Amino acid sequence: MRWATRHHCHVDRAACAWLIRRFIDPEAEFVFVDDADEVPADATPLDMRGVELSHHGGDCSFETFLRRYELADPVLWEIAKVVHEADLVDERYDAPEAAGLDVLVRGLSMVCDDEELLRLTAPLFDGLYEYRKRALLSGREPA
Amino acid sequence: MTSKRAPWVLLAYRLPREPSTPRSALWRKLRRLGAAQVLDGLAALPLDARTREQLEWLAEEVVEAGGEATIWIGELASAAQERELAARMAEAVAADYRSLSADAEAARREAPGSRRRTLARLRRELRRIRARDYFPPPERERAHQVLAELAALVEEPVR
Repeated sequence: MRWATRHHCHVDRAACAWLIRRFIDPEAEFVFVDDADEVPADATPLDMRGVELSHHGGDCSFETFLRRYELADPVLWEIAKVVHEADLVDERYDAPEAAGLDVLVRGLSMVCDDEELLRLTAPLFDGLYEYRKRALLSGREPA
Repeated sequence: MTSKRAPWVLLAYRLPREPSTPRSALWRKLRRLGAAQVLDGLAALPLDARTREQLEWLAEEVVEAGGEATIWIGELASAAQERELAARMAEAVAADYRSLSADAEAARREAPGSRRRTLARLRRELRRIRARDYFPPPERERAHQVLAELAALVEEPVR
């Protein structure tokens, strides 16, 4: 399937792309556009104003994906808190990792293009998923 | 003559008077971003990828709350008016820095344990202020300095 989002991806779109490839559509192909009008007819738009898979009711796009695709995995919701705070910084959640994640992904976006950013951040989210999963299972911070 | 003026991103919005929750949520988010309220229903920030995106999401929230919102990119026609707007924004954060410096100074007289907690709280507060500081006023340096002094006091060995 083809998915379309805006150029210059940051943390929310990087996290959504990872989520799509891992949990929704392993064959996902991403196209990057400058304006909603440029979204190809066969592509599903995400993280853009006025589309379904985007910010709604104060949620970031990653949270919207979890709701729309009914992904109830509690580990994904732990990641959602971090992504939300990294993206919106509105203190809805307590996610101290968010500030670090924001800087790392923003920094990466300064030295590579969107394809490369999605490729490089995927293992980061794999690791975050594993860490949060172990934390949830053991009830303490894993080492 | 070339224009030296910087581009701004503006959110023009109209929200129903009731319910008041979306209105106060929007106000809170605009304040956190450090946006200048140019008029009732018109908020401005210096343009960059982040400010534009944040205002776009707020525009979306306004629409979802039954209001109307548009995003504009523009510049002030006069350099003097731009300086005035920047000065107003700088003064707003300067007041926040001053109040943080005063809190940090007052914390010197606290007991060591409470002083450490105050330091942690003020450091978080400083990060929040910096995130909405687009035209750093001299008060910023002062706030950093007072906080560094408080940190040194906290790290001092207990005799």
